[in-house]
Amino acid sequence: MQPGPEDEVVVETAVFRIEGLTRRYGDLLALDNATLEAGANEYISFLGPSGSGKTTLLRVIAGFETPDAGRVIFQGRDVTNVPAHERGIGFVFQNFALFPHLTVMKNVAFGLTHGKSGLSAADIDRRCREMIDMVGLSGMEDRGVDQISGGQRQRVALARTLTLRPRLVLLDEPLGALDANLRGRMRNELRAIRERLGVTFLHVTGSESEALAMGDRVVVLDRGRLIQTGTPAEVYDHPASPDVAHFLNRFNMFDGKLSGGSFTGAFGTAPAPVATRSPRDVYAVRYDRMRVLPLSARTDRPTLKARYIASEYLGSSIMSFFDAEGHVVEVEHHLSLGAPETYETRQEYLLSWNPEKAIVFGREVQ
Amino acid sequence: MPEPAPALKRQSMTTRLLLAPGILWMALFLVLPILMIVYVSFWTQTTFNISPTPTLASWKAFFGSDTYTGALWTTLRLWLIILASTFIVGYPTALFVGLLVKSKTVSTVLLVICVIPFWTSFLIRVLAWRPMLGKEGAINIVLMKLHIISQPIEVLLFTELSVVIGMTQIYCVFMVGPIAFMLARIDRNIIEAARDLGAGFGRIFWKIIFPLSLPGVVVGAIFVSVMVLGEFATSAALSGRKVNLLGNIIVTQVGSLKWAMASVVGVILTVVMGIVIAGFLRIVDLKREL
Repeated sequence: MQPGPEDEVVVETAVFRIEGLTRRYGDLLALDNATLEAGANEYISFLGPSGSGKTTLLRVIAGFETPDAGRVIFQGRDVTNVPAHERGIGFVFQNFALFPHLTVMKNVAFGLTHGKSGLSAADIDRRCREMIDMVGLSGMEDRGVDQISGGQRQRVALARTLTLRPRLVLLDEPLGALDANLRGRMRNELRAIRERLGVTFLHVTGSESEALAMGDRVVVLDRGRLIQTGTPAEVYDHPASPDVAHFLNRFNMFDGKLSGGSFTGAFGTAPAPVATRSPRDVYAVRYDRMRVLPLSARTDRPTLKARYIASEYLGSSIMSFFDAEGHVVEVEHHLSLGAPETYETRQEYLLSWNPEKAIVFGREVQ
Repeated sequence: MPEPAPALKRQSMTTRLLLAPGILWMALFLVLPILMIVYVSFWTQTTFNISPTPTLASWKAFFGSDTYTGALWTTLRLWLIILASTFIVGYPTALFVGLLVKSKTVSTVLLVICVIPFWTSFLIRVLAWRPMLGKEGAINIVLMKLHIISQPIEVLLFTELSVVIGMTQIYCVFMVGPIAFMLARIDRNIIEAARDLGAGFGRIFWKIIFPLSLPGVVVGAIFVSVMVLGEFATSAALSGRKVNLLGNIIVTQVGSLKWAMASVVGVILTVVMGIVIAGFLRIVDLKREL
C-alpha cells in the first residue's frame, strides 16, 4: 500500500521545483538526489531527525549554500546560481536572527529600506505597519527586540520576511524556540497568514506532531534522502518504510521475519496479508491500536505478554509503558473512549491488537 | 518581616567584607594620592624648597607659558591622531580576525600573534623603531636599493611622524582586541538574514556590523586614550625630545624636584582623561551592551 504517483497531490502551478539536489560535506552526504515540486499556496513540512539534511536542503533552496549537483527552479526560472537575495525566497531563521540593535519597526522595514524595493519612505512605513498589524504586534513598533517575548520575536522575524512579499517562505524549525502553548498558537497563525497571502511555506521540523499538523504535505527525510512524500494522513497511515514509521514516533516496532503471508516475531506468528517492500522485516503497531487484556484472557488476535511499568498522563490520552523482555511497548488510551483501566505495577498483562491494522514491512512481499 | 532581616544583614555584612580589601586598596593608592597631588599643586615652590603655603603661582605659571599650554595642545592633537590611526589600522584587522575568519582556532591564533610583540619590553619595542626609521635605517636602505628614492627620507625619525608611527604600532592591539571580541559575538545568521533581505555589503556593514561592534570600538578607544594621554617614553625616544607631551613635562618637573608644577600638570592630565572617558561612555551604555 505504498502511495503511488497517482496518490500525490496534483500540483496545478508548480511555484517551485528541485531536481536531483546533492550536497556533500567532505565524506558526509548531506543531500542525496532530492527531487520535489511545490504548488502555490502550499504548506510543506520536512520531517527528519537532526542530521537528516533538512536544514541543508532549506539552505540550498534559500541560496546560502550551493549544491554539488541538481537544480532549484523557482517560478519557472533556474535559480541554482542566483544569489540568495535575488531569488525572492524568504527565510525565517531558527533563532529568528533579528537585528538586536534595531526596533521592531526597523527590523521589519530592513528589507524594504536597505534592499532594492525602490519604495518611498511613506510606502515602506505603511506596508510595514500593515504587516506588523497582521502578525498582531501593533503598538510595539518602537520597542527594541530585546524587550519583547520569544513569541513576539518570532512574529517580528516572520513579518520582516513577509514585507518583501516573497512567493515562497522557508521556515527553519520556527516553533522550536517557543514553549508548547505558544507553539500551538503560532501554528494556527501561520496557517491563517498563509491563507491570506497565498504564500508557499516550506517548514523544517524535527517534531512529528508539528509536521503532521501543519503540512498539506509531509516530506520525510533521512540521511539526505527524501524517503516519503504525501499528505499527513497518507504518511501517518501508510509509512513507506520502517524508518518513516520510526520518525513518526507513533508505532511499536517489532523485528522478525515475514514469510508466506505471516510475520513471526516476539509475539509469535501473526497473519500479514498486506506488506510493504523493505530491506528490513519489521512489524509496526500504532500505540493507540494496542489493547491491554488480563493474562487469563482468550483471544484469536496476536498477543504479547508484557510487564506493566508506568503511565504518563497526556491530557487527552494516557500513555502506558510495558516491558516485553527488554523491549518497551507503549499503549495509548484515548480518554474520550472511556475512563482508563488501572494496572498493577510489575504485573504481567497480555497486549493484543487487530492484525489487519498492523503495518508490515519485509523483503518477501507477495 | 522578622525572618529575612538577619539573612539580609548577614548578606550585607559579607558584601562589606568582600568589598573591604578593594576599597582599602583604592583609597590608599588611588584616591589619597590624587587628593595629595591636587593639594601639592597649590603649594609654594622655590628653587630648592617646597612649602605647604597655599598659592596659585604654579597654576598661573602653567597657563601663562606657551611651552606648557603648547604641550597640552600637542597632547590632545597626538591623542586624536593616534586614536584615528589605531582605529583605521585596527578595525580592518579586527574585522578579519573576528568576523571573516570562520575557524575559532585560527582567530585565536591570529589574536595571539597580535600580542606577541608584548613579549619584549615596552622600551625595546619603542627603541626598535630607531634602526627602522633612521636616516640609515631599514626603510631608507630598502627604498634606496629599490631605486624608489635617491635621497634618504629624513622626516621618518625624530619628528612627530615617528612618534605617531611608534604609538600606532604599540597601541593598535588594544583597539583590535575589544573590537574583534564584539565582532566575534555577532550571530552569523543575522548577517545572512540581512543579505537575504537584499542589503548589499556596504549596507550590511554600516547598518548591522558597525553598530554591533561599537561597544568594542568604545572600549578600545578608552584603552588607547588612557595610555596615549599619559605617554612620555615613546615621544621622548622617537622625537629626539622635540615632541613634548604633558607626560614629558611631568617627568622633567619631577626630575628637577619641581613638585608643585608636576602636580599641576598631573591634575590637568587627570581631568582631561576623566572628560575623555566620560565622553566615550556616553556613546554606548557598556553595562547593557557587554
